[in-house]
Amino acid sequence: METAGRAQAARDRVPRVDPYGFEPEDFDYAAYEEFFSAYLVILTRRAIKWSKLLKGGGGVQKSMTVKRYIRKGVPLEHRARVWMGVSGAQAQMDRNPGYYHRLLQGERNDSLEEAIRTDVTRTFPDNVRFRKGAEPCLQRTLYNVLLAYGHHNRGVGYCQGMNFIAGYLILITKNEEEAFWLLDALVGRILPDYYSPSMLGLRMDQEVLGELVRTKLPAVAALMDGHGVLWTLVVSRWFICLFVDVLPVETVLRVWDCLFSEGSKIIFRVALTLIKQHQAFILEATSVPDICERFKEITRGGFVTECHAFMQKIFSEPGSLSMAHITRLRERCRAKLLAQG
Amino acid sequence: MSRKKTPKSKGGSAPATSALPAAKGPRPVRPETARAGPEAPPNGPPQPGRSSLGGGGDIYDVAFKVMLVGDSGVGKTCLLVRFKDGAFLAGTFISTVGIDFRNKILDVDGMKVKLQIWDTAGQERFRSVTHAYYRDAHALLLLYDVTNKASFDSIQAWLTEIQEYAQRDVVLLLLGNKVDSAQERVVRREDGEQLAKEFGLPFMETSARTGLNVDLAFTAVAKELKQRLTKAPSEPRFQLHDYVKREGRGASCCRP
Repeated sequence: METAGRAQAARDRVPRVDPYGFEPEDFDYAAYEEFFSAYLVILTRRAIKWSKLLKGGGGVQKSMTVKRYIRKGVPLEHRARVWMGVSGAQAQMDRNPGYYHRLLQGERNDSLEEAIRTDVTRTFPDNVRFRKGAEPCLQRTLYNVLLAYGHHNRGVGYCQGMNFIAGYLILITKNEEEAFWLLDALVGRILPDYYSPSMLGLRMDQEVLGELVRTKLPAVAALMDGHGVLWTLVVSRWFICLFVDVLPVETVLRVWDCLFSEGSKIIFRVALTLIKQHQAFILEATSVPDICERFKEITRGGFVTECHAFMQKIFSEPGSLSMAHITRLRERCRAKLLAQG
Repeated sequence: MSRKKTPKSKGGSAPATSALPAAKGPRPVRPETARAGPEAPPNGPPQPGRSSLGGGGDIYDVAFKVMLVGDSGVGKTCLLVRFKDGAFLAGTFISTVGIDFRNKILDVDGMKVKLQIWDTAGQERFRSVTHAYYRDAHALLLLYDVTNKASFDSIQAWLTEIQEYAQRDVVLLLLGNKVDSAQERVVRREDGEQLAKEFGLPFMETSARTGLNVDLAFTAVAKELKQRLTKAPSEPRFQLHDYVKREGRGASCCRP
């Protein structure tokens, strides 16, 4: 009874809609409040430091200090500016004035428009700003960003999953053009070719994760091999959606802070940390569906909700992960996939 | 992707220490009688066998793998949720990325049949990710949307894909979904019938919104698979085509 009372009280205190517009249906308000009251202290301390760092306005340049600051979390009010700066999106936007709007007025492409339209209405139905009837309704903004991107990068066009990524970018930047340039930074530069029609980069990175698990967590690799489970079955959403709708929103944003600043190897750090932390739990699996369930389960709960501690873990738990090593593994895995045809 | 039930924005469904199912006690061991993987050859004959260790809700005699395929937006996830939970996801579902599955146990003529239903992303480029799973499927439900001509025109391409990657004896059912949207229909029932006839496929029109023929589609598949496995030579063969034709209901009689 006491627990129920505590939960109800927390429910009354915690707003129904979070700062990003999400309105989750079943939600543990008590647990969240407990976490957030502690996180708020950290946020406040970080906000003061960031305000000092960014004093005077201007762009954010990459530096060791900025990297260290980013790992500890970017306050929401500075997030768009920091992402734009460290990813190079701001520089691209400055170099190409008016480009985004010209893309929107470009030649029609029926199949591209249709593919985007199909997904726009089913992106974040639990976010009040994406609902039909919201004023302004972000469905239109999302449509524009995805359409412009499809025209900009014809080799990719539109790939399912980009709707979730662009959706987050819009929620954070509150600016169509900036969201577009950040999407370009991710899809065009930071990530390998995850979204191209062959999805070769995606398949490659899933293989790379498999190789990293084989070296760092051999028992898990043996379990997957033993049941003939391909990594794509359990982690494709992690890579394609960059953890959107996989991990809690706040945690995803903290991961993205580092993704924009340090690049795609952050994805491996997050994946390896999740698997390592829950290794014993995963190893209890007795069948393929059981393995799938457990890989879903490990993306929930306190371990991932407490984003600050989680972000510290991703830099310690997986051990060393040099870019040179990742590059070598990527080359090997890509060659293997190409040989398979 | 299946809609994530846990809170997406603010995280955990439980405080840190009790967050994982491990804390809820050990899980029942569930022998998979029809699982994929090296223990059983892909799509090998599923071995009947009662799972005695399973928890109360998870006892079944035999398990089969069913896959939902078809263009993006034809209603695969909605069809699955209608069948699984009896509900329609009006405006609350998100597009499927990658591949996902849900289980449902059916009683087929006194036998508990577990259907492990795989839901896939419809966009063409995802086929490079999903077709690895075709070979393990015992049945495929191939969907198009009667309000979207392009999705109907894609059926041939899907069949080519299926021919290339699925088992030769896979049970295949063609479904024209969204027949509740009578105003927007652009693919006539006769067109679907004609195409099905051309390729020798059983065919039905369905509506995930009203539930029309949804249970029937899955039941028909379960009956066919069960009988393939257990039929005595003297028994009359289950006729999937005839069953679907006889039991399937027209769209008009069920419009709300």
